[in-house]
Amino acid sequence: MANVELSNINKTFGAIETIPDLTLSVPDGSFTVLVGPSGCGKSTLLRMVAGLETPSRGRISIGGRDVTREEPSKRGISMVFQSYALFPHMTVEQNIDFGLRLSKTPLEERQKRVDAAAEILHLKPLLKRKPAALSGGQRQRVAIGRSIVRNPDVFLFDEPLSNLDAALRNQMRVELADLHERLKSTMIYVTHDQVEAMTLADQIVVMNAGRIEQVGAPMELYNRPQTLFVAGFIGSPRMNLISGEAAAKHGAKTIGVRPEHIELGEHGPWKGRLRVAEHLGNETIAYIDSELGELIVRINGDHKMKPGEVLQFQFLQEHLHRFDESGRRIHREQTLVTGSATKLLHP
Amino acid sequence: MISARLIPQLARLAILLIVVTFVLGPLTVAVFGGFKTNGELLANPFGIPSHWNTEFYSALLNDPSFWKYLGNSLIISLSTVVLTLIVAAAAAYVFAQIRFFGSKMLMSYLLAGLVFPFATAILPLFIKVRDFGLLDSYWAVILPQTAFGLSLSILLFKTFFEQLPKELFEAAYVEGCGYIRFFWRFTLPLSTPILATVGVFAFVQSWNNFLLPLVVINSRELFTWPLGMMQFRGEFLVEWNRVLAFITLSILPAVVFFVAAQKYIVAGLTGGAVKG
Amino acid sequence: MSNATSIRASKSNSILADLMSSKGQAVLLMLPPAFLLFTLFVALPLFDAAYYSLFKWNGYGTPTDFVWLGNFRQVLDHGIFWQSVRNTLIVLAVSLFIQLPLALGLALMVYEKTPANTLFRLVFFLPYILAEIASGLIWSFVFDGNAGVASALFKSLGMDPVFILADRHWAFLAITLVVVWKYFGFHMMIFVAALQSVPKELLEAARLEGAKRWEVVRFVQVPLIWAAIGVSAFFAVVGSLQLFDVVIPLTNGGPSNSTHTIVTYLYTFGLTRTRIGFGSAVGVLLFIAAVGVSIFYQRQTNKRSK
Repeated sequence: MANVELSNINKTFGAIETIPDLTLSVPDGSFTVLVGPSGCGKSTLLRMVAGLETPSRGRISIGGRDVTREEPSKRGISMVFQSYALFPHMTVEQNIDFGLRLSKTPLEERQKRVDAAAEILHLKPLLKRKPAALSGGQRQRVAIGRSIVRNPDVFLFDEPLSNLDAALRNQMRVELADLHERLKSTMIYVTHDQVEAMTLADQIVVMNAGRIEQVGAPMELYNRPQTLFVAGFIGSPRMNLISGEAAAKHGAKTIGVRPEHIELGEHGPWKGRLRVAEHLGNETIAYIDSELGELIVRINGDHKMKPGEVLQFQFLQEHLHRFDESGRRIHREQTLVTGSATKLLHP
Repeated sequence: MISARLIPQLARLAILLIVVTFVLGPLTVAVFGGFKTNGELLANPFGIPSHWNTEFYSALLNDPSFWKYLGNSLIISLSTVVLTLIVAAAAAYVFAQIRFFGSKMLMSYLLAGLVFPFATAILPLFIKVRDFGLLDSYWAVILPQTAFGLSLSILLFKTFFEQLPKELFEAAYVEGCGYIRFFWRFTLPLSTPILATVGVFAFVQSWNNFLLPLVVINSRELFTWPLGMMQFRGEFLVEWNRVLAFITLSILPAVVFFVAAQKYIVAGLTGGAVKG
Repeated sequence: MSNATSIRASKSNSILADLMSSKGQAVLLMLPPAFLLFTLFVALPLFDAAYYSLFKWNGYGTPTDFVWLGNFRQVLDHGIFWQSVRNTLIVLAVSLFIQLPLALGLALMVYEKTPANTLFRLVFFLPYILAEIASGLIWSFVFDGNAGVASALFKSLGMDPVFILADRHWAFLAITLVVVWKYFGFHMMIFVAALQSVPKELLEAARLEGAKRWEVVRFVQVPLIWAAIGVSAFFAVVGSLQLFDVVIPLTNGGPSNSTHTIVTYLYTFGLTRTRIGFGSAVGVLLFIAAVGVSIFYQRQTNKRSK
C-alpha cells in the first residue's frame, strides 16, 4: 500500500522532449487512470514509475521512498503489459511463480501464493498449460496473476485490455474493478479509451502532448472539463464545440454543449436539418446540419424523426461550458467548483 | 550507481575489441604484407610497413593471368546467379501457387539437397561431367553449382511467395491472367528483396567455391581465382609478400561487395536458417 | 431459365479448361529445369556413388571389377581414415562446445540495435564471407615458422620459432582455430536474429520480476532461442563433416597425413589417385553420417515441439 508522487518529471529522448515538466500525485489505494491520445506520454510516464525508463529530470517516490534510480524489482510495483508478456516456454504456473522463484521464496509459501492467485482469477484448471493454449482473456488473467503473487504496493497496467474483443473487454473491466475492490492496492492504469477511464477510475489524469490537462474524478471531468481538450476527449458521443457569434453571445471564444443537453423539437432559437439518425434502441443519436455547424444530439430511443426533417433546437443553459481563447474554462461559480472538486477527491 | 554499470560496460567493450582484433588482425597483416619486401616481412610481419612498396601489387595488376582468373570467376558466378534465379524462382512459384498431384513429394525431393554434403558425390559428379563432355568448361562449374544451390534457393523463394497476398493472384486471374504471365508480371517484380538475397547468396557461394573447379577444371586458361591463387602460391613459395598481395587483391572485391550487400546476405542466412 | 443454366455451365467448363491448361502449362514449363538439374547433378551422382563404391575402378571405361564391400573394408582398415574421422570429431567438438558458446556470448553483447553494435556484427561476420581458401592461406602465413606472426610471437618470448603447421601436435589445433575464426560470425548472426525476435516486453517483465541480467539470459532468452541454437548446432555439425577448403592451404592434410578431415581424405586418397570406387565408398560413409545427423536433428526438434 503506497501513494506515488511524481515531481517535476522531465523525459527527453534524444532531441525530443516527450514530457516537459510534470507533477502528479497518486493517492494511496486509488485507481488512477492515465488517459490521452497515443503519443501523449502516458505510457512513458508509467514506464518511469515501473523503472523501465529513467526520468531525465525530476523525482519519483513510492510510499514516501525516493525510487527515481531504484531497480524496477525493488520498487514494490508490478506491471501488466499490453501484450501480457507471458513467457511462452513456461506453463501458467511457472509464469505466475517466476518472480517468487527468483526471489528464493520458500517453496511452500510459493505454492500457497500461486494457489491463492489462481483461485481469485479462476486459473486453477489452466495451471499446467502453456500460454499458447490459452484464450486472450485467460492470458490476461495469467498476467494479472503474475502481478498479484508478488503482493505489490502499486499495480501498473499498460493498456491491458486493448488486445481483447469488445465483449471480453467489458467482462475484464468488471473483473479489474472487482480486483481493486478486493485488494485495495494503488493501481495506475494507462489507456487511450476514455470509456475504460470513466468506468474504472476514481481519479482520471487526462494527458496531452506530455502535459496534464486535468486531474479529477470521472464525473468531475465530465461535468466541468477545465480545458477544451478535456471537453472534447471525455464523453461519447463527443461534446459539441461551437465558436463564433453564438459563443460570443455567451462571452466566450468557444462554447461546448454535450449531446444530451440539446433540446430538439418545435421550439428554440436555432434551426437544423436532420441528416442521419442512429437508432441504438434505448436512445437515438441524431446528426444535425445546423446554422451552427454539425451537431450531435442524444434523444429518446422511440423518437420518430425522418432524415431531411427541419427542426428547432435550444441548449440547456445551465449545462453550457464556456472556454476562452487559450482553451481554458471560463468559471461561473469559481468557489463552488473548487469546493465540489475537493469533496469528490476526499470524500 | 553509475560506476556499477560502468564496469560491466567496460568489460563488454574490452571483450568486443579483443574479438575485433582476432578477426581483423590476420586481414590487416595480409594487406600490409603486400607492401613489404620479403626481408621486412621476416623482421616485421605484423607492423605497418616502413616503406609502402607498391611494386608487388602493381605487378599483379599488370599480370594478365590475374585478370583472367578474376574474369573467369566473374563469368561463372554471374551465370550461376542468373540460372539459379530463373530456375529456382520458377520451381518455387509452382510449389507455392499450384496444388497438383505429387507436388509435396517433388518438393521434399528437391529440398533433400539441404542436408546432403557436396563432397559425397564429388567423384561421380566428376565422372558425370566428363561423360557429358563438359570437363574443362565454364558449364562444368555452373551447372553442378546451380544444382546444389537449388534446395536452399527454392526454400527461400517459396517461403517468400507464400507470404504474398493471395487476393492478388485471384484478382489477376479473374481478369484473365494465367499462371505464367502472373509470374512474370506480378510475382517477380514484387519479389526484388528475395531475388537480391538469393542472388547475392548464390554469387558469394560461387565466387568462393574451390572444390568443384578444382575437380572439373584443368587448363589455366579457365582457372577461377581460388585455383589461380593456389597456383600462384605454388610458384612463389617463399615470396609471401607476393602471395599476400594476391590474397588482398582477390578478397578486396568480396569485402566491398559484402559491405554493399550485407543486408541481403544476412537476410538469406537468417531467413534460411531460422525457417529451414 | 434452362438457357441461362446452360450458359453458366459452359462458361464454368471453359474456366475449368483454362485453369487446367494455364495450370498445366505452368507446371510443365516451370518445374522441369529445376527437376532436371537437381536430378542430373545431385541425385544421380549420389546413386552413382553408391554403385561405384562396389567396384574397384580408376574412372576409365565402365566399372567391371566388382569387389562387393571391398572398398569399404579397405577404408575402414585404413589408419589415416580413422585419423581423419578423429580430426573431424575434434572440429565438431570445438564447433559445438567452444565456437557456439562464444557466438552466443557475443550475440548477447551485440544483438541490440545500435550503430556500434551493427559495426561489431559486420566485422564479426566478415570472415564468413571470405573464401575459405583465402582465409586458409592468410592463416598459413600467420602460422608460418619463418615469417609468420606466430614465429615473431615466439621470438619475442625468447623461444625458438615453432613451425606450428608442421607439428603433429599443433597443426590440427591451428586448423580448428581458423575454423572458429571463419565461422563464429555466422552462428552469431543466427543468434542475433533470434534474440532480436524475442519481444522486448518479455525481458522487461523478467526485470520487473527481479531477474538479474544473467537470469534473464538463462531463464528467458536462451530458452526462447533454443530452436535457433538447434539450427546453429546442426549447421556446425554438417559443416564440420564437410570441412575441406580451409585445410588445403593450411596443411594439405600433412604433416604425415595427420590433419586430414574426411573430405580431404576423400580428395587425397580417392580423387588424386583416381580410385573412384574407393573415394565413392568414403563419400557414401560421409552421406550416411550426414543423414544420421539430420535424422537425429529432426527427432530432437520434433520432441521439443511436442
